[in-house]
Amino acid sequence: MPKPTKGPRLGGGPAHERLMLANLAAALFTHKSIKTTETRAKRLRPLAERMVQFAKRGDLHARRRVLATITDKTVVHELFTVIAPQVNERQGGYTRITKLGFRKGDNASMVQMELVLEPLVPKVKRSKTATVAATPVGSENVVVEDVVADDVVVDETVVAEDVVAEDVVAEDAAADEADKK
Amino acid sequence: MAVPKRKMSRSNTHSRRAQWKATPPTLVKTMEGGKVVYSLPHRAKVVTDSTGTPMFMEYKGRKVADI
Repeated sequence: MPKPTKGPRLGGGPAHERLMLANLAAALFTHKSIKTTETRAKRLRPLAERMVQFAKRGDLHARRRVLATITDKTVVHELFTVIAPQVNERQGGYTRITKLGFRKGDNASMVQMELVLEPLVPKVKRSKTATVAATPVGSENVVVEDVVADDVVVDETVVAEDVVAEDVVAEDAAADEADKK
Repeated sequence: MAVPKRKMSRSNTHSRRAQWKATPPTLVKTMEGGKVVYSLPHRAKVVTDSTGTPMFMEYKGRKVADI
């Protein structure tokens, strides 16, 4: 259940906001991707995702509940027959909001809001063995950092280790840059 | 209608205007093709072709919008 919004309504009043959000939802389901302001997109998200959930349920009662908001039957038909099967595997998060830039006239933050219609790729859960394998690497890094800290104190006995440590640090930095690319 | 009784002094005008300051935006620094690029965090970027003509907007390697 969407959390009720605090503060003033969008547009001129409650009715204006209802109509605006209904029209935005209809546009989103027709075009799959719309450009709007950040405020409107954030208000639209719970409404649109709830409609997608009704569409996934797919019975007549759900259809009538969506039709109470979006009165265009063709849009609702598309939502129930085309969009709903594509998001059937998904357990929520049917929309994606990407911030673009700022509108010229009033500096409003603009976003691209789209339906997430890609097939679901399940996240790989980290098993215990993977975490165990990861921790020694982390501890090695800590050791290297300790050696580097010793360098600052100018410990002359570990000159050979210093060189190795610096090489490792340089490689780490290179890897970071590669990641950023 | 309410009307100012006294002329606003130059000092007061300047004091008021001195409080209006610009703040630098927080930018993120990234390396793109060997060049350092500064951009706004969590905003899509404009992708240009070799001649500098804008083509589309991209976020995290994904095309998000046309221009």
